[in-house]
Amino acid sequence: MTRTLERILSRVQKPGRYTGGEYGEVRKDPAQVDFRFALCFPDTYEIGMSNLGLRILYGVLNGMEGVWCQRAFAPWGDMEAEMRAAGLPLFALESGESLRDFDVIGFSLGYEMAYTNVLNMLDLAGLPVRAADRGEDAPLIVAGGTCAYNPEPLAPFIDVFSLGEGEEALPELVELIRRGRQAGWSRKELLREIAGLKGFYVPSLYEVSYHGDGTVAAIEPREGAPFPVTKRIVADLDHSYFPVDTMVPSTEIVQDRATAELFRGCIRGCRFCQAGYVYRPVRAKSEAVAARQALESCRRSGYEEMTLSSLSTSDYRPLVDLCDHLLEYCGPRKINLGLPSLRADNFSMGLMQRLQSGRKSGLTFAPEAGTQRLRDAINKNVTEEDLLNSCRTAFEGGWNAVKLYFMLGLPTETDEDVLGIADLARKVLYTFKKYGTNKARGVRITVSTSCFVPKCHTPFQWEGQVDMDEYRRRVELLRGAMRERAITYNWHDPETSLLEAVFARGDRRLADVIEHAWRAGARFDSWTEYFSMERWLDAFREVGLDPAFYAGRQRSREEILPWSVTDVGVRQDYLWREREQAYRACITPDCRKQCTGCGANSFLKGGKCDE
Amino acid sequence: MSDHRIFYRKEDTARYISHLDTMRTFQRALARAELGVRFTQGYHPHADVSILLPLPVGFSSRCEVLECTLLEGTDLERVSERLNAVLPRGLWVEGCAPREKAPKELTWVDYQITLEYDGGTPADWGEQVRALLAQESWVVEKKSKKARTGVTTLDLIPLIRSLTWKEEGDRVVLEGIFAAQNPGLNPQVLVDALAAARGELRSDYARFLRRSLLDSRGETFR
Repeated sequence: MTRTLERILSRVQKPGRYTGGEYGEVRKDPAQVDFRFALCFPDTYEIGMSNLGLRILYGVLNGMEGVWCQRAFAPWGDMEAEMRAAGLPLFALESGESLRDFDVIGFSLGYEMAYTNVLNMLDLAGLPVRAADRGEDAPLIVAGGTCAYNPEPLAPFIDVFSLGEGEEALPELVELIRRGRQAGWSRKELLREIAGLKGFYVPSLYEVSYHGDGTVAAIEPREGAPFPVTKRIVADLDHSYFPVDTMVPSTEIVQDRATAELFRGCIRGCRFCQAGYVYRPVRAKSEAVAARQALESCRRSGYEEMTLSSLSTSDYRPLVDLCDHLLEYCGPRKINLGLPSLRADNFSMGLMQRLQSGRKSGLTFAPEAGTQRLRDAINKNVTEEDLLNSCRTAFEGGWNAVKLYFMLGLPTETDEDVLGIADLARKVLYTFKKYGTNKARGVRITVSTSCFVPKCHTPFQWEGQVDMDEYRRRVELLRGAMRERAITYNWHDPETSLLEAVFARGDRRLADVIEHAWRAGARFDSWTEYFSMERWLDAFREVGLDPAFYAGRQRSREEILPWSVTDVGVRQDYLWREREQAYRACITPDCRKQCTGCGANSFLKGGKCDE
Repeated sequence: MSDHRIFYRKEDTARYISHLDTMRTFQRALARAELGVRFTQGYHPHADVSILLPLPVGFSSRCEVLECTLLEGTDLERVSERLNAVLPRGLWVEGCAPREKAPKELTWVDYQITLEYDGGTPADWGEQVRALLAQESWVVEKKSKKARTGVTTLDLIPLIRSLTWKEEGDRVVLEGIFAAQNPGLNPQVLVDALAAARGELRSDYARFLRRSLLDSRGETFR
């Protein structure tokens, strides 16, 4: 550690974020390293280190001979100020080397509100934020993650987007860059070659033109670049890398526990859920592999808590066997086994009760909508009966706190649907009054609403978002209808939802807005202490773009969508059909009942998902 | 009451692990090393460990003590080796032994303090400090969570058993033995007091190293 850094660390909050040195961190002999890969997460250490994808890629890349993958996170404001004052460029935690000396800087993009941090981290590394301004020798800037499915707002800043799962794609990228280095390719030549690799989108090779009304007129690939660019997946999860010997941070992080991954993709097809579409097809690990990885992760990390991760845990076929298996190990060692994202059904509740030891805290359900009609429209296959039965089981078992999550502003929502949320909350309250075993303690029912954000590659990608005033009106309507003391109502502010809706479906011209906001001081926009809507609205005004054009406008089937250059394997006509089903409030059966032909099975040999 | 003590160093990047996080880090390291320890009772049972004298974040130490109860049959000789294989950088176990002295016998702590003066050490540094130490009493205000006003006063003089120093170019290396507890003297408080008393004594950076724990007779506390 340098003297400069040591002095800075004595003045900042949570200095342990900036030192590395955790158990499981990979250190290599620089003499044996010919390729440096900086894996960056554009948020704090505590959030970035909680990301399983980052840990997978860290392990995969460090498993390559001569490659040293290191980490960097966004420094908090106090640290940023100190670094800028001292002229200390952004460095990697493992070696302390400046990021600008790396071969590749890779960003994981999980949410739109982290975009300004990407620019800020590039700037802190001493690099021009725009790809066009970076020199021949600058590191290659790569970005992947869920947000890469609409890469356009970041297109001018990023050299290469990696679409889909990276564990097989990134090693191919590294090998190609090595080959280019030997052959003496220019940056331009390298980018052209990368565009030929499966799953990589090189935005500078595509020209976008616009109609007078601001919609996209054409997206034209140049120099033989493919159109569209199809995402990558790992077909066989049983034989793919999983970080059982992962890092254990010495300071507390958000997800401070061992994680086992059960499957990728989701059979449910909730129409608002981007993850449910972009992670298709469904691929499960076998029980034996999931159990082995889970136990190894526990044993080698020493964590006192383990969580089973996937989009909908209760849909894992051998879940009961797996839990029995894990409990044999975890029980005597007092390791807590957590099952997130359980469905509100009898099966899941039975399982919950068996796993729960000690104090019974709150349970969380996400009915998403207040009436059966709207739940059918969004294809959230949960009935009121399921929910109330689950609550009954919970209350009878001694639980006395329930959290219910909803969205306001879902397509086709009426005031009746909004008021349905209040009805449902009240029915949960009556269920407690009737069946609660611990009535003296009372019950806490927390209703939370957020503003629906239409996302690309979902059936609602053509929808307009309700504007902020309308969202606020619906919040007030709901608030007025829930006066019971046992019911608490929390609602998210719609400002960040509006911006998310803009960037989730925006085009390249928005890059100017992002850069403008960042230059005006925007960073950590998902943190209320940093966020300023004023600053964003100023940026839109300065650049001459209207957020409502992107967020609130209903798009037609014919419109060329800015993200049509990316292909997740689910066909656009399938999404449109799902949208029509939504307007008829018709449900689509889950993938296990019947294949409805979304197209994602084409990624798998034999075309069979979820085997 | 715990039966065993694990003696360890906390240096390098591990200096920035807080007190609570250090306990958590050891709980997990004990599990990784498959060293069984007694657990707490109650709703959330966890490995029952405690650290004798909390070390401020940023300080190095060669003499930290973690208390726990290793399960019967544990080979104490091998504890260091097994833990050192699974600890993060900067934490290093030097030994493990049955508990000897009661915590209340921990009386003094030996510290090394390095003060860096980028513009060179003030010319009469030694004289000024000697004058401050020669006072009958040297009362400073100290933040307190317990006091209603948020501040308590502390007389430094009785808490300093000895203090010597060497001037080395643009830094001064101090060696001091300070009260450990009830009340203890955090050497940062002394460094701040120097700067508060005489502005020119304010250093650009202070580095702290805890070197040993002593009982009331000045013997090593184990």
